Amino acid sequence: MLNIKKTVENEKACFQLEGRLDTITSPELEKELVDSLDNVKELVLDFEALDYLSSAGLRVLLSTQKRMSRQGSMKLVHVNDTIMEIFEVTGFTDILTIE
Amino acid sequence: MTIELKGRIDSNNASQVEERIRGELQGFAGGELTMDAAELAYISSAGLRVLLRLRKQYADMRIINVNSEVYEILDMTGFTEMMPVEKAYRVVSVEGCEEIGRGANGTIYRIDQDNVVKVYNNADALADIQHEREVAKLALILGIPTAISYDVVKVGESYGSVFELLNARSFSKILSTEPEKLDWCVKEYVDMLKRIHSTVVPKGKLPDMKETALMWARFVQDYLPAEAGEKLLRLIEEVPHDDHMIHGDYHTKNLELQNDEVLLIDMDTLAVGHPIFELGSIYNSFQGYSEYDHSVIVRFQGLSFEMGRLFWRRSLAAYLGTSNEKKLREVEDKARIIGYTRMIRRSIRRKGLETEAGRAEIQLWKDELLGLLEKTDTLLFSRNELEVEAVDDNLPTVLGFIEQHLEAADCPLKAQMQISVAAEEIFINIAHYAYKPETGKAIVRVDVEEDPVRVTITFVDKGMPFDPLAMEEPDVSLPAEAREIGGLGVFLARKAMDDVSYQYKDGQNILTLKKNF
Repeated sequence: MLNIKKTVENEKACFQLEGRLDTITSPELEKELVDSLDNVKELVLDFEALDYLSSAGLRVLLSTQKRMSRQGSMKLVHVNDTIMEIFEVTGFTDILTIE
Repeated sequence: MTIELKGRIDSNNASQVEERIRGELQGFAGGELTMDAAELAYISSAGLRVLLRLRKQYADMRIINVNSEVYEILDMTGFTEMMPVEKAYRVVSVEGCEEIGRGANGTIYRIDQDNVVKVYNNADALADIQHEREVAKLALILGIPTAISYDVVKVGESYGSVFELLNARSFSKILSTEPEKLDWCVKEYVDMLKRIHSTVVPKGKLPDMKETALMWARFVQDYLPAEAGEKLLRLIEEVPHDDHMIHGDYHTKNLELQNDEVLLIDMDTLAVGHPIFELGSIYNSFQGYSEYDHSVIVRFQGLSFEMGRLFWRRSLAAYLGTSNEKKLREVEDKARIIGYTRMIRRSIRRKGLETEAGRAEIQLWKDELLGLLEKTDTLLFSRNELEVEAVDDNLPTVLGFIEQHLEAADCPLKAQMQISVAAEEIFINIAHYAYKPETGKAIVRVDVEEDPVRVTITFVDKGMPFDPLAMEEPDVSLPAEAREIGGLGVFLARKAMDDVSYQYKDGQNILTLKKNF
């Protein structure tokens, strides 16, 4: 179960994620991102209400990061400790911008 | 009327033989005609035509005492399907032979180093033997290691079926002579039990244990206060139908170690049903039957009452995947309800009420049963094993199942997520690759140990042999542009768990995750 709240204003987009980012829900997020990022230069992913992240979620983050590096910037905010540890273990802390 | 067939019947003498038989049949008005083939050495197609013509005239014709060469001819030509054909039975003596097993319908003896014979209690056992053969074949096809009889013999007035069983020792024997192997025996015994209980049986192939238990309960109802009797019936009725296999007489004399292989024997009680019925019968084997007279288990299993209790409790704990005493007691009590119901009926039918000891024993079981009925509201218990079709859509079911067990064990939230992330990787791997391009089943099991708390999650599938741990670890120091998508899941599972291991055994991929906290 994943709820995605999306706000796009001019070149700035914010995605608030709530629930679980796993094998089942990651394709939904990926589709939403692909559909909305065309002219976006600044992407914010708000993880405040996200309580689960598996490698399927990491894959979406990685591909989105690759894309945003070409067209602008991406950052993650409000990441909880448990998810932060996953980023650390997998070296994602070096790849992603996390506030 | 009986007519003897002798020697060889072929095109040289077929017409003379037919003439002789017709001569003997003069005056025979009809009815059962028996051809005794005890001395028939060979029959050719000319001879078979004679039999066919006779059979047309006498519908009730059968052939008995057929030796194996002639039987093969009759079988190949389809005669065995056209008319009753009985083989000549080899005669075997079990005098002085070691008794190695004893079940509800017969006793098993070792007749020589390589062979055992199961002698049926019922003198008219041919149908039972046929049934057990069919059932054993079915079990074997469904993946349960068992021995199938290759010959039917006469043992005194009874029939027996012969199996090959080389250098085999029953688990009862191992437990009584090498008690230090208790842990190993419990593990193998429970592994086999789980294997039986995870086997789905095609519809209609085996009897439904719930129906049998209802029959017991209806019988016992007459000997209980009305309210208790109704409750007993209701508890059994509320157990849902289950199409997984149960053995029905699963004790340590029916499990054999042959070389390094564990074999299940005595298959005639095979059925389908909820595992509570199996647990009821296991309880009886190790405890119930000996509760009044502790020497019963010594006679039947060669085990002491105390060893029986220890083995039962340890096996139950391993089966349920918990060492929590309250939980064990709860499931044991449910099993005892089934167990007592069965024993009371059995004893009453065997005239138990006619002796003082029998009455005392039945009274004891009845008192226990009444006490249990009062405090029990369901025979169902939560199982630590889940079988699902391995497809992405079942991920929430699998993770929900695991999380429910972790919560019950007061697992910290952070560890719960780590375990779930690892479990997701393994399950999705099975869903995507194990049965490619088709899909198949996965079994997920959660075992919780206390003191210190440790969770073990086991994934089993019957797909292609594949060790996900053999994959190369991703380089997590690379920058985003150089990163490959994939390979991270197993890496994550390894990092977050205390132990991740893989083995391929009995056609199954078995992946185990362990986490301490």
